[in-house]
Amino acid sequence: MCEQPKPRIAPGVCIPWEEKRKEFPEITGDEEIIKRTWEDVDGLAYTYVWQVLLSF
Amino acid sequence: MPAEMEQRYTERLKRYVAAMRNEKPDMVPIRPFVAEFTSKYCGYTAQEVTQDYEKAFAAARKCAADFDWDAVVCNMVYGWSGLTQAIGLKYYAVPGVDLPPQTGFQYLEPPEGNAWMQAEEYDELIADPTGYLFNVWLPRVSADVSPAGQPTSYRNNLSFLKGGMAMWQYFGAFGTQAARLRAESGTVSAISGILKAPFDIIADKLRGYRGLCTDMFRQPEKVLAACEAMMPHLLHVAAGGADPQRNVPVGLWMHRGCVPFLSPQQFEKFYWPTLKQIIEGLHAQGIQTLFYAEGEWNPNLKYIAELPDLSIVYHVDRGDVFEVHKAVGHKFCISGGIRNDLLALGTPDDVREFCRKVIDGVARDGGYIMDASAIIQNDAKVENVKAMTDATREYGVY
Repeated sequence: MCEQPKPRIAPGVCIPWEEKRKEFPEITGDEEIIKRTWEDVDGLAYTYVWQVLLSF
Repeated sequence: MPAEMEQRYTERLKRYVAAMRNEKPDMVPIRPFVAEFTSKYCGYTAQEVTQDYEKAFAAARKCAADFDWDAVVCNMVYGWSGLTQAIGLKYYAVPGVDLPPQTGFQYLEPPEGNAWMQAEEYDELIADPTGYLFNVWLPRVSADVSPAGQPTSYRNNLSFLKGGMAMWQYFGAFGTQAARLRAESGTVSAISGILKAPFDIIADKLRGYRGLCTDMFRQPEKVLAACEAMMPHLLHVAAGGADPQRNVPVGLWMHRGCVPFLSPQQFEKFYWPTLKQIIEGLHAQGIQTLFYAEGEWNPNLKYIAELPDLSIVYHVDRGDVFEVHKAVGHKFCISGGIRNDLLALGTPDDVREFCRKVIDGVARDGGYIMDASAIIQNDAKVENVKAMTDATREYGVY
């Protein structure tokens, strides 16, 4: 299979976690759970616009 | 769920999957893609099933129960206008509003010279397809969404809220529909997930077909780069919606890749490379693709034959189904090939005879699924769809 080009912003992502992370002054607890939740919900918006494009 | 119905579902699933794996099941499976035919059968208008998805679901369930089909799509009148109106999408013609109530919904090409994506915007799309869709495309195709950088509005905010929640509600209802098809008639939900070729997305939703035809000559490298930029996203979305059990395929709805829209040379250069990679990427994850080859695709068979064995279920529309079987039947299951004009204008005897001819010519070694050539709308006669079903049960037993 041919190598696929790497997109600047990965599939499934609207606002990357790295960008959102800069808005937090400090994370005193579990950063991983915040990241995971951010990415899950961000993925819903991604799904929205791509499904509008594909399915409607 | 009654044990008898679950048994029927198990038999039908086994039959359907065996055929898709190019094996010989107990009999030829029947998997008609019925859209507005269901509304005709149930006494609804096309407007009703387009506007009210619960009526569309109910019509699909009644047809599945009455016609002894093995698999159906949960709702082939998939473009629910409740959502398109919530977003204010401009590229739809809706029955009962823009069209007569009995005419199926239509997609509209963008106005010539004023496509949803401008010719000079390829770089922006390529750099960030998702960002482009949100910031540029959606405001252009929606009557309510404000362009990025412009003042927002009540309608803009409501468009996103209503659109998002309507999509959640509608897509969530598909799960219930699939469960009811199984419980009430032992019918398999035929496909899971959606895919379109990068080239078709650019033609249908971004540049328009005419705009893209011009781009192929004036900026071919941008067209190729745009297809490549969209490819990982389309693979991601298709894989995300795929059947977790890997039984039923992702639906790939192809549009402008066939003659006369593209020459085989244009197909080879622009349409095929990225689509092939997506299908191979899905295959690598154990996901089959329903290759819905709408139109005349036989001139492209030599390219399609490059795909891995069993990676697709090849659906035949206007191509000669016997030629398709000869060329790629050893690699892929074939579905369709029963002409829609026959279902609309022929007699039950005509339909029965043609179905028998197709079963004899294509299905004898397995790997065939009975269906019409194209999506069955409300021009098809009920007695002819019944004849197609009955003929398959009569002649299609192994």
